[in-house]
Amino acid sequence: MRKQTRDEAIWRFLGYTFVLLVTLLMVVPIYWIIVASTLPEQAFLSAGTDIQLFPGSNFFANLEALQARESVDFIQSIWNSVFIAIVYTLLSLVLCSMGGFAFAKYEFRFKEPIFYAILATLTLPIQLLVIPLFLLISQMGLTNSYWAIILPWAANPLGIFLMRQNMKQIPDALLESARIDGATEFQLYYRIALPTMKSSLAALAIVLFLFQWNLFLFPLVVLNQGKYTIPVAINELVGAQRVYYDQIMVAAALSIIPLFLVFLFLQRHFVSGILAGSVKE
Amino acid sequence: MTDSNRRLDRRRILQLSAAGLAGLAGCGTGSQPATDSSGSDGGSGGSGSSDGGSGGSSTETSADGSSGSQMASSVTAWSWDVAAKSLDLIDDPYEEANGGDVTVEQFGRSNMKDKFKSRILSGSGAPAIATMESVDAAAWVDTGGLRDIGPWIEDAGVKDGFVSGKWGPLTKDGATYALPWDLGPVGMFYRNDVADEHGLDLESVETWDQFITEGEKLPDGTALMNLPPNDYDGIWRMMFRQLGGLPFTDSGAVNIHSEKSLQVARQMKRAHDAGITSSVASWSSEWFNRFAEGSIAGLYGGAWIEGTLKAEIGDTSGKWRVMKPPAYESGGNRATNWGGSNLVIADQVSDAKARRAFDYMQYALANEEMQLKMYREYGLFPAYKPAYESDAFDQGSEFLGGQAAGRMFAEIAPNIPSYTYTTDTPEITKAINSEFKKMISGDLSPKEAVDSAANQVAERTGRELA
Repeated sequence: MRKQTRDEAIWRFLGYTFVLLVTLLMVVPIYWIIVASTLPEQAFLSAGTDIQLFPGSNFFANLEALQARESVDFIQSIWNSVFIAIVYTLLSLVLCSMGGFAFAKYEFRFKEPIFYAILATLTLPIQLLVIPLFLLISQMGLTNSYWAIILPWAANPLGIFLMRQNMKQIPDALLESARIDGATEFQLYYRIALPTMKSSLAALAIVLFLFQWNLFLFPLVVLNQGKYTIPVAINELVGAQRVYYDQIMVAAALSIIPLFLVFLFLQRHFVSGILAGSVKE
Repeated sequence: MTDSNRRLDRRRILQLSAAGLAGLAGCGTGSQPATDSSGSDGGSGGSGSSDGGSGGSSTETSADGSSGSQMASSVTAWSWDVAAKSLDLIDDPYEEANGGDVTVEQFGRSNMKDKFKSRILSGSGAPAIATMESVDAAAWVDTGGLRDIGPWIEDAGVKDGFVSGKWGPLTKDGATYALPWDLGPVGMFYRNDVADEHGLDLESVETWDQFITEGEKLPDGTALMNLPPNDYDGIWRMMFRQLGGLPFTDSGAVNIHSEKSLQVARQMKRAHDAGITSSVASWSSEWFNRFAEGSIAGLYGGAWIEGTLKAEIGDTSGKWRVMKPPAYESGGNRATNWGGSNLVIADQVSDAKARRAFDYMQYALANEEMQLKMYREYGLFPAYKPAYESDAFDQGSEFLGGQAAGRMFAEIAPNIPSYTYTTDTPEITKAINSEFKKMISGDLSPKEAVDSAANQVAERTGRELA
């Protein structure tokens, strides 16, 4: 008995240490970006010799330098990114959940092959798709529009897959009883499936938002100046003659804020167990 | 333009209603500022969209509305930083002289490269003119998306005007894909005030050994040369080329472990061990600051770097001088190169646009006056030899305390050994940087470093070892 508790304590200690380490690994880079964005460039580049651990007072000077850039309108690029990512996430949530619902709850011809074909597209790296996609987009006359990067992955295969897996958990009996009560098929999706999927939708929203937020090569190719998203705008700061690290740090720090807000907003929705007790099998 | 916009709108609305999000219509396509976007994008949006290969004879009814041997009225050029600004200088005189309008769009360097490469690969959306560094030539030509302008260069009779060393990377299988722009004959820039203060006599330095001896006179904390850990490769390449070293043999075998490369590695290591070097990341603001305060007193760099220093640390104007790079032995070659760009034409643009583009390129590059204009304003050192006869090269530079560095560089330029870049050049860069890091820190001997770098490149590229 005593030995068991001691073992437990050791395991718990190890567990906490591990979690703490992982947390540190995740938090330190973000903290560092924030600190660096408040320091003059030479202060954080010479970090090898004397490390600055606390924020300085240079944030606004760096920000001013960033805004003075001719070829990059960074504030505009934040707006571009936010707009694109939000519209994309909403649109994709609708499409993925509809697709997922269909694959989970309906029978139709070639269902399995179609599903696996969609799944298979996950193995294609974006780099491979950039050129064909660019051709497609330019033939649709959508180059340099927000739609150019919203539409291509609007029905995100990963999203469809995740939604399908989750929606399989919705008991058929629940849908049956709704049908008997006279619900239309769309109502089944909208009134029953969606509300029960809230937490997985929130999780998917984050995945989709991040996916769009981090896209680099495709937006670079398809968008022109003024429509650039954040990653592309940051890369504009790598000049031929000079790398503007201070401005890059400010830009990186600022670009975290929208992500942070999205997480803050969505975490309320990570509620589970709504389905518990909905039917009696 | 209006026509293509209307088409654009219709398509967009279709897309929007399909997505059921018509409410967001206002946030879609904005107006496209550059005339060229309408030209190239409009071209691909129309019926003749799949002219992926040669857009040569395709006569799109675009803004120019012309075909055959006529020239389009406007084209777009893509470039970065100082190069873009230099092209801007040419815009007005060109318009006055030849009547065409060139819109220069400025990008970050790596952004522009990625974007241009994707667009020439996809066969649509590329500008007529783009800046290409010689380093990238092999990779860009490989895409098959550049226009062979060899015949036009022949017709114009300008080929012999350019420094012969420039053409190598720009030609392949008898075709020529670019017109040379500038090059970067290398000099050892140094802070004359710091040298004076500590009694260095750099003017009489002829060899690397003498250079190190002078450097040892500097106090601790002051370096005579920087070896940037992020760019050992850059220093190595300059020093290697000076010796006439080539990264690959004629048959394509990896040869960066050759006797010459080893000589360079030993030299770098010797300089480091003598304590005359610093190790600051290049192009950072610390790098510039150290030059500004004089704690790094020398900078081994291309002629164009004077312009960069002038722009970044103008306060030190007058305190700088420049000398030829030290030789390996008395009487040895002291000419090498760092950098250099060219202008290319995308194969996908219409004949009319390509003609306008070439006309502009010829006006800007094979032209003494324009080359001198860019040299004076932004320090881009012309590859066009007739320009060297100008007295602009004899004029003392204020930044260099009145020294006529231009003449020195003009003497160096024709003696620069030619060099080969291939699509595998990036592998060499990686290998040299990682192995030289170990060499500088003492984990590898110079011999081991070059051998292991060569092995690494051979392994990754499937090439033989020389």
